[in-house]
Amino acid sequence: MTTEQKQDPEFIQFRYPRDVTYHHALGYQSKFANGLKQGRILATKCPVDGRCTIPPRIVCPMHHVRQTEWVDQGQRGRLISAFKINFPMFNSRTGELQTWENPIIAVELEGGARMDGWCMETDTSKLKTGMLLEAVWRPEEERQGRADDIMYWKPIEE
Amino acid sequence: MAERIAIVGVGQTHHKSKRPDVTTAEMCAEAVERCLEDAQMSMKDIDNIIMGSFEVADGYYSPDKWIIPELGAVGKSGLEMQNVGTTGGVVAATGFNIAATGLFDAVLCLAWQKMDEAAGAFGRGGGGTNEYWTGQFPMSPITNFARRAYAYMDRSGCTEEHFAMVRVKQDQCAMKNEYAQLKLGLTLEQVMNDALLAWPIRRLHMCPTTAGAAACIVCPEEKAKKVTNKPVWVEDWFTCHQGGSLTMAEDPTSSTLAYASHLVYKRNGITNPPKDIQAWEVYEPASPAELRWIEEVGLCEDYTAWKLFEQNKVGIDKEIPFNPSGGVTATNPIGATPVVRLVEAVLQVRGDAGEHQIPGTINRALATGYGGQGENVIMLLRKTL
Repeated sequence: MTTEQKQDPEFIQFRYPRDVTYHHALGYQSKFANGLKQGRILATKCPVDGRCTIPPRIVCPMHHVRQTEWVDQGQRGRLISAFKINFPMFNSRTGELQTWENPIIAVELEGGARMDGWCMETDTSKLKTGMLLEAVWRPEEERQGRADDIMYWKPIEE
Repeated sequence: MAERIAIVGVGQTHHKSKRPDVTTAEMCAEAVERCLEDAQMSMKDIDNIIMGSFEVADGYYSPDKWIIPELGAVGKSGLEMQNVGTTGGVVAATGFNIAATGLFDAVLCLAWQKMDEAAGAFGRGGGGTNEYWTGQFPMSPITNFARRAYAYMDRSGCTEEHFAMVRVKQDQCAMKNEYAQLKLGLTLEQVMNDALLAWPIRRLHMCPTTAGAAACIVCPEEKAKKVTNKPVWVEDWFTCHQGGSLTMAEDPTSSTLAYASHLVYKRNGITNPPKDIQAWEVYEPASPAELRWIEEVGLCEDYTAWKLFEQNKVGIDKEIPFNPSGGVTATNPIGATPVVRLVEAVLQVRGDAGEHQIPGTINRALATGYGGQGENVIMLLRKTL
């Protein structure tokens, strides 16, 4: 039997795990979330310059006026930017680390608003700025008013 | 009427990936001791303290309650603030605002981050520009800059090799900076073949997680002249927030840097930035961002900065002396990172930057803080009034 004693480290770190669940109100954005459940993409419109914004805002960030008009943005848009993640990141729906096969993209919608989403095409070399895309929705019963109610944006031949 | 103000002392820790030998408060005390020593002042000379970090990444709130006593600063006036990546920038800008009132003799600005204790907090997302919307996407600084880098390549015609050229330049500068964290002796091939995080961003393109703190002392003119014969004057400062508003980001490669820096140029009579400013410390969280930032501060036309790297025109002793410290891709104690930029800019103006000193007289230097989806803080320094 060894009499050798394990040496304590000179400096000690304590571990503090914390698991907190937040419940954030959607407020004015609830109308947008309910639109997603119905398969519609709704944006607020600035009464000054007509710009549509997603996520919707109760006040225009540039003109500081109330945005009371909502505009259906249609189901199609054009690609603005894209990136693909090669490492696991958290999925806010599940709280778990997940790998993401589909590129995350920004789309400019027919109604003029811009929004983030996932692209059905996984080969980033085939993604070109300006390409036409169409929303592919989850089945209605699965929608929760969340970003991934639109599962993907599918490239459309022109 | 606002007082003219000057920075009379700066200090920072030797930035490292891990500091298990100190608590956050002890690490802050290190930076403050060095800052007071640089200014040849003591804590009794300080009558206001502005301090902050990115609290989520530290893992506790209201850190001033803990840190102030450890600095031996109980009973002094001050504020604690946080603003993610721009935290150090708003700490400095608030310190400038307070010093400019003339109500205080010496304002200590302190920022820190000990990312070895909760680096994972950052990757968990949440917050961002809109808790409901952006919080649902796997967003992080990595993905944010992947998007920007893709759009930049698409618009400019540059290739991944140009991003690698930027990273090698950043490393060459960091190799000369004793306080920098990553000093790797990189080659283009190493960067080009490094692990892909989110195309086209590779691991070496991204800022590291860092434990470190940085501080500066700001005084009104009369006090500054009594304290030091090398005051560095704060000519102007501006904090610009936008919350990722697409109305200010028509171009996904852009930030508020062009808007904010040119606003400051205009009100200080700067018409030719490459000539009027001799040192640049601009917060670049990822190597590809440096290209766009060089353009946004007015050093070349949009989408052409990659050509400057091809022509070997960017470096400590080159035509464009950009980020001589090695920048954020070498060192990133996130809440403190804008103050690290400010400290470097002060050293450059004083001629005290040692091996990474830009040759010639530095009459003006520009330092920035960056955060979120394109927020910027501009800090313009001058050697003489």
